[in-house]
Order: sequence, then C-alpha cells, then structure tokens
Amino acid sequence: MDMDKLLSFDWGLMAPEFLILGTATILAVLDLFLPKKINRQVLGLFGLAGIVAAIVSLVFLLDNETGSILLETFRLDSFGKAFKLLLLTGAGLVMLLAIDYKPNEGMEEYRGEFFYLFLTALLGAMMMSSSGDLITLFIGLELLSISSYILAGIRKKNTASNESAMKYVINGGISTAITLFGMSYVFGMTGSTNLRQIAAALLNVDDSQQVYILGLAFLMIFVGLSFKLASAPFHMWAPDVYEGAPTPVTAFLSVVSKTAGFVILIRIMFTVFTALPVDGEYSQTFLFANQDYIGFLAGATMIIGNVIALRQRSIKRLFAYSSIAHAGYILVAFSAMSFVMFEAIWFYLLAYLFMNVGAFAIIQLLTMKEGTEDISHFAGLYRRSPLLAVAMAIFLLSLAGIPGTAGFIGKIQIFIGALMVSPAHYVLVSIMIATTVVSYFYYFGIMTQIFFRPAAHHEKIAIQPGTAVAIIVSAAATILFGIMPQLAYGFLESNFKAFLDFLA
Amino acid sequence: MELLNLYQNNYLIVFVFLCLGVLLPVVALFFGKLLRPYKPLESKYTTYESGIEPFHDSRVQFNVRYYIFALMFVIFDVETVFLYPWAVAYEKLGIFALVEMLIFVVMLLIGLIYAWKKKVLKWI
Repeated sequence: MDMDKLLSFDWGLMAPEFLILGTATILAVLDLFLPKKINRQVLGLFGLAGIVAAIVSLVFLLDNETGSILLETFRLDSFGKAFKLLLLTGAGLVMLLAIDYKPNEGMEEYRGEFFYLFLTALLGAMMMSSSGDLITLFIGLELLSISSYILAGIRKKNTASNESAMKYVINGGISTAITLFGMSYVFGMTGSTNLRQIAAALLNVDDSQQVYILGLAFLMIFVGLSFKLASAPFHMWAPDVYEGAPTPVTAFLSVVSKTAGFVILIRIMFTVFTALPVDGEYSQTFLFANQDYIGFLAGATMIIGNVIALRQRSIKRLFAYSSIAHAGYILVAFSAMSFVMFEAIWFYLLAYLFMNVGAFAIIQLLTMKEGTEDISHFAGLYRRSPLLAVAMAIFLLSLAGIPGTAGFIGKIQIFIGALMVSPAHYVLVSIMIATTVVSYFYYFGIMTQIFFRPAAHHEKIAIQPGTAVAIIVSAAATILFGIMPQLAYGFLESNFKAFLDFLA
Repeated sequence: MELLNLYQNNYLIVFVFLCLGVLLPVVALFFGKLLRPYKPLESKYTTYESGIEPFHDSRVQFNVRYYIFALMFVIFDVETVFLYPWAVAYEKLGIFALVEMLIFVVMLLIGLIYAWKKKVLKWI
C-alpha cells in the first residue's frame, strides 16, 4: 500500500474516534506533566469536552453515505452511527458522575487515569460498533475490557474494589478466550476475517458436518459474548464486580459496556450466521433455526435476574441483578428477530441508558460518603430532599416499565416485536410480563424506603453540579421519550432508514 | 468432504496426545509407589538444601519491581521483534509502513514516558 492509496481513504469517517483517541492521549500526557497541586477534575471536564466534540462530529457524519476505509475493516453504516450515539451519550453522562466522584479514602493520585481510562474504554466500544472485520471487533472488545478491568480496581486501597477487579479480569479473560476460539473456527472454515467475505463464503456451505463445526463456533462466540452482556447463566461476575467497583464505573459497566456487548453480538451474529444455510441452498438460515436457544437464554436471564434481585439488601447488587434482567428483556427482542428488532433494541438501550445512569447518579450521591450501600440509606429521602426523591421515583418507575416513562415504550416495542413474527413467541412474552411484575416488588421496595420510612438523620444532601446535570438530563429524557417516543423513532426513521445498509 | 475428514483426523492426534499426557504421570507415579521401598524417617522429611541444615521458611517474597522491570523489558523486546522484519523489507513496504511504524514507536514512547514519570525506572 503506498501513500496515494493511504491518502485516498476518507479519514473523515473516523473523526469521532480520532477525537476520543486524541483527547485520551492528551489527558494521559497532561496528567503526567501537570504539577501535583493542580486539581485533576479539570482533566475530567476536558474529557467531557472531547466526548461532546465527538458527538458533534458524529452528528455531522449522519448524512454521510455508508462508507468504509482501510479495506473494509472500518465501516460507518447507519447501525454504527446509531449505536455510537448511544455509547457517546452514555459515556458523557458517566463522565459527569466521575468528575464528582470522591471516595472517602481519596484517589487524587489516580484521578487523571480514572478519566482517560473511561475514554479508552469508550474508544474500544466505538471501534466495535463500526467495524467490518473480526480482528478490529476483537481489538475493540479487548480495549473496552482491559480498560474496564483497571477501572473496576481503581480504588487501590479498597479491598472490595480489588476483589471486583480480580474477579472481573479472570472471568473476562476466560470469556474472551472462548469467544476467540469460536472466531478461530469461523476463520478456519472461511479463510477470511472480513465479515462480508465470511458471509459470502458461508452462503455456499452445504456440508452438514461443516454446519456442525460452525454451530460449535456459534455456541462459543455466543457464550463468550454472553459474559459481556451478563446474561444468565454467565452472570455470576456481575453482582460482585458492580458492588466493588466505584459507582461511576458501575454505571459505565451497566450502560456503555452492555450496549457495546449487544453491538458486537448483533454485528457478528447478523452478518455471519444469517448467511449460513442450515441444510443446503435456499433453506432456513442458521441463526433463525437456532433462535430457540437464544430465547431460552433470554427467559432464564429474566427469571434469574428478577428473582434473585428480590433478596438483595445492597443497592448496587440490586441494580446489578436488575441490569441482568434488562439484558434478558433485550435478548427477547434479539431472539424474536422481527424486522423492528434494530429499532426495539436501540430504543430500549436509549431508555435504559437514561434511567440507569440517573439512578446511579442518585445512588452515588447517597452512598459515596457511607461505608456501605445498604438500601436503608434511601430511608426518608423524601423528607431530606423531595426533588431527589421525585427524580429517583421517575427512574424506578421507568425501570419497572410504568406508562408515561421511556422504559414502558421500550418494553411495549419488544412485546410487539416478539408477537409480530410467526410463530409468535408467546412463552417468552409471558415470562417477560410475569418477571416484570416480580420486578415491581423490589423497585417499589426502594420507593417505600424513600417515601414512607423515617430518615435516620436529617442532614442536607449536597448535590455537586456535575451529578445534578446528569440527574436533570436523565430525568427529562426519561419523561420526554416516555410521552413522545415519536421523537426518537422519527430520528431513527429519518436518519437511518431502517438499517437497510447493515448487510449490504 | 475429503478435506473435512483430514481436518478431523488431525484432531484425533491431539486427542491421542491428550490421553498420553494424562496417562503418563498416572502410570509413572503408580509404578513408583509399587516399586519404591517405604521406610519413613524424621530426617527424610526435611527440606533438601545440598547438605546444609535447612533454616527459616522456603517462601521468600520478591520485590514487585522485578516483575515491573521484566514487563518493561518484554514490551521493548517485542518492539524490536516487530522492527526487524520491517527494516528488512523496508524497500518493498515503502512510506505507508514507515508511517505505521512511527505511530507504533510513538505509542510505546508514551508508555515509556508514563513509566518514567511513575518512577518505575528508579530502583530504590
């Protein structure tokens, strides 16, 4: 490859990634060379500015034709654009929480690293959402994972944080190995790492033994990525890691990391395994033939997540199980594979982003200075700060899926998607309804604490500006998309045209 | 089909090796137990230290700096491994590879600056 070819690439397609990469590098160097007495929170604001700039540059790219550079390894299609918007918004809100995060034992020494590791993790997630090659997908996955391992253990002097990082790195390492092994089978059978070339090669597979080996590959990739989504039965790491990690990192893992997990799952499954015929030419494709397995996993995830959440006393563990349950809801949309699947998953992740980050912002406010994360810290919140109590109520109602909030619209869309295909997934839908009812119990348990229990003490809650912005934005968006979901769907409709260029 | 069988047969060899690997220690240890005499003595249970009387614990903690130094060494060792083939094929690869290599070296340079500022290079 010579210089002319290199310059002929449309590097502008990668502008958001370059912005994030540049910000992260500058932050790293600044953090090293700035004198000790300068407050590192300024670096957080700089990182936030980088994320906002990346969002702006992505908005300018929205009208671009689908394009790819570097021999199809990087591909900017409407799927990539739509999910990158989610990732960037989520990371921006989490960054606001991170700026205000001040644990008791102090972490001034690592404050700068805290900020730029968020950015590198975000960069990995963004690379995944617009890559057309197994290698770049894997690099993105690893960049996201390794950054989040360090983030989980960033409170060096806190044993819970150390434990969570250790568990995360071991579980994550195993899952990565399994995914990679599955990918190696796909590469071995097709001789290419490029997703479209793989799909083209798989169209001609008509040997049942080859389909069998590719089935093993499907299973291994799916299991490996299920760790990232924290779906049952591969969810065991989530509660421990969520509990030990600093609250902004927990918010990041449950929102950005989960979104990225669904992004890579859809990318691989829908390009590789929809191309593979089960049984000779013109027969059913592999992914559709195996949707029952995914559906089973979705059902198990919803039941396990919601039922175990009933017994939790620690608010962060409770939210860990709630996030497992939400992964199950989204897997329902994934396993139904209706033609509104992309819209349903995108909207649900959008709603989930705002309601979860908002809830974590309030959790951080209430538990940052306490030693524990017991639910009782919420007792009497209504007396101490009515506005915070109302905001938390909005997030909880949305997580529970009550009409008037974004969570409700997201759930409805998933229901419709699962029922519109034939044969309709009645079992999955009924499990989803039943477990949603179960989830009311623990969400409303927190509400009882907030509104009806007496407060242990009546100190004023000092709300830092960054957290306040995150809470206000999240609450406003949760209500707005609950009452006027057509805003989001209209945006999808006018900019992404039903994701038709995903496979093209 | 032919190729697939060949492919699967290769895994047969892996399986045979796996079985051998498991069997070998089991058989060896079992025969050892059968054949060796068994006369336990107090002095036989002490640690072997080439004839010297053993003293204090065998577990010694190493300074973590050894590992960090080893890590730093490996990083730059791998860098040279990448630089060699590039230097040999430089004529063919041209300017594009030069740019890529510069990016690679600069990234490692930032890593070195990081290590230097975090006082990894200092031996206390």
